[in-house]
Amino acid sequence: MADQLVGILACSGEECLGGTLSRLATRRVMEVLRPNRAVTLCLPLYIAGGGEERNFAKAYPVITIEGCSKHCATCATEKFSGQVHDIVDVAAILGAEVALSKTVSGRDLTEAHQDMVKIISRAICAKMDAIV
Amino acid sequence: MSKVKVIPCSGIGKVYGLMAREAALTVTERLDPDATETVCLAQLVTGTDEAIAKVKGLPCITVDGCPSLCAAKSVEAAGGLVKQQYRSMDEMRFHKGKHAGTATTLTEEGWQIVDQFAVKIAQRADELHKEETANG
Repeated sequence: MADQLVGILACSGEECLGGTLSRLATRRVMEVLRPNRAVTLCLPLYIAGGGEERNFAKAYPVITIEGCSKHCATCATEKFSGQVHDIVDVAAILGAEVALSKTVSGRDLTEAHQDMVKIISRAICAKMDAIV
Repeated sequence: MSKVKVIPCSGIGKVYGLMAREAALTVTERLDPDATETVCLAQLVTGTDEAIAKVKGLPCITVDGCPSLCAAKSVEAAGGLVKQQYRSMDEMRFHKGKHAGTATTLTEEGWQIVDQFAVKIAQRADELHKEETANG
């Protein structure tokens, strides 16, 4: 089904670079690479939101984008909503040293960071395409 | 003495979430890194012992984007003491007519709003840190 919507859920972690990359890669997929094929959710809405948010993983196949090996987005999804379909792990792709390095504000992003975002976003698309 | 936790929602759907994230990072990385630090909200949502230990019984400032108050509710659920709540969308009332950007990037105006917002948060964090220090 080419029109199958896929849920993409970034951890958006604030404590390390991996979280920033997870967030930016998710936005790039939604805006540039696979517009209209991806839906997302603010992760903390599992706690703050209602039933609609908790049905997220039942309504869509969900790919979580994890900044580090703690896999918070996956843990939260499986605790509050349902099984995740697949995981993109920034630390596994770029290495733990990079993923766990100091977090970066949007104002300090370099070309190297943007290249990392492209790598992660392509990995997300590959997993999306395997679904649709 | 523990640092004051400044925890944003980092909402991914609207500019307000990005403003909250960048304001919190400005406080913890630039304005007052000695007295403040942030905590991964996603980890608090998981509710693990490790995550709870980071905020339980400790003074926290939450910076949300919208009325859902995801950061405030998640921190409270994890046992953090929410001493102050902020919402970035409220800050826009002081900047009518300005365009802050999108959920992906901020405009120059957006960064100016975030910087002013961060100063306000840092001042409150400083007050809380002094209270904590005075109370031992």
